[in-house]
Amino acid sequence: MHTVLTITGAASVKDSTIPIQGIEPGSNPRAALHSLNVQGIDRAIAAEVIKHHHYLHSFPGGTKLSLGVFDRKRLSGALTLGVGPKNAHCLVENTSADDCLTLTRLWLSDDLPSNSESRVLAMVVKLLRKHTTIKFLLSYADPSSGHVGTIYQAAGWLYIGLSAAMSLYDLGDGVARHSRSVGQIFGSHSIAHLTKNGINVKTIPQSPKYRYVCFVDPAWQSRLRVPVLPYPKKEKSDGSN
Amino acid sequence: MEVIEIPIEKLKMAPWNPNKMDTKMQAYLKTSLTSFGLVQNLVVRPLGDGSYEVLSGNQRLSVLKEMGMKTAPCFVRELDDSHARLLTQALNRVQGEDDLGLKAESMKKILESLSQQEVMEILPDSFASLNALQTLNTDNIADRLMNWESNRHARLKHMGFQLTLDQQQVVQQALNLMTPKAKASNSESPNINGTALYLICKDFIENKGE
Repeated sequence: MHTVLTITGAASVKDSTIPIQGIEPGSNPRAALHSLNVQGIDRAIAAEVIKHHHYLHSFPGGTKLSLGVFDRKRLSGALTLGVGPKNAHCLVENTSADDCLTLTRLWLSDDLPSNSESRVLAMVVKLLRKHTTIKFLLSYADPSSGHVGTIYQAAGWLYIGLSAAMSLYDLGDGVARHSRSVGQIFGSHSIAHLTKNGINVKTIPQSPKYRYVCFVDPAWQSRLRVPVLPYPKKEKSDGSN
Repeated sequence: MEVIEIPIEKLKMAPWNPNKMDTKMQAYLKTSLTSFGLVQNLVVRPLGDGSYEVLSGNQRLSVLKEMGMKTAPCFVRELDDSHARLLTQALNRVQGEDDLGLKAESMKKILESLSQQEVMEILPDSFASLNALQTLNTDNIADRLMNWESNRHARLKHMGFQLTLDQQQVVQQALNLMTPKAKASNSESPNINGTALYLICKDFIENKGE
């Protein structure tokens, strides 16, 4: 039975037998971390998990790999790797889009112990290094959702500055669409082209995102075209860092 | 709490209960009730005129009527309107959710002795979703990644061009002119249009853009 220490009086400390959620009897958080396992999962199952649990509640288009995070037999998380922003691979010299994947979604159950995210990211990088020719991973943290990329920082990913602010598009129905979706519908997301052809389109400005890179093949780090910067810090509620 | 068998005709559906079930799901419920019987009691409140309003089990009541059942076992609670609605909301919405990993384990056990067909008469799962669950956590991640790696190398590269109608006609005409050469070129690519475009570009480069 996993135990927690409970202070019951000014000077007394005794063992409590209250189990911590998600930690099975006989285990401890460190052991629980080592019980995590990453497996390939069916795209439909990944979509179900991500749509239900991830804060964006959407499954990203362009997903190339869907992975599940298992805590013994429980499916306690899921992540997707896929196509990121167009030409994002150009952040690294002499690369093609095939050398790079973007971590587009990651969700882990709150029941998992702390540090599970960095453990899972390390496992994914190790698997990609061993079994694929992927050279680097990119990921983005959205400051407008209060994210600075803490998990990437904890996992030792490199911070490479803010991405360009991409706008979303409203075609008059109030739905915010990615430029790629608009391009799939009309063949272009050029405002001039759409307006000229009578499409009522409005842009919805988005804030730039914190950009992180992880070199699956460390030898490729020397090809990075942009400087590695100090990690951004989460703003405190009083506006200070 | 006492369970009372109440005649079906005395049970009234709560018209304000927002819980809905489509006919497909009702068919699953009917199969389940036929196979296992009513294993979950209805929750009702007395209306004061000898009838009872169903707070939980409106869908089951509908199917029980269809099946010609005479009575249903009910938990009876005396509640005012607000509390009746609150309890209904709680019964409709406060529930757990399946962990997909453990659900997959459970489905594997079920399918060891029952056919997919039999399972699909009771549960709203498709063949695809049952198969996906059956293979969950059984993959070898190394095999999957190596398979993915070889597939992506086998896949021909895709380039998308967006053209106006006039431009498309000119490009198609050029591709048509090059098609015989493309077919005769013994290219490694099985895509004739792609090979024709490649040959046009190659000619262009060899002629230094003239």
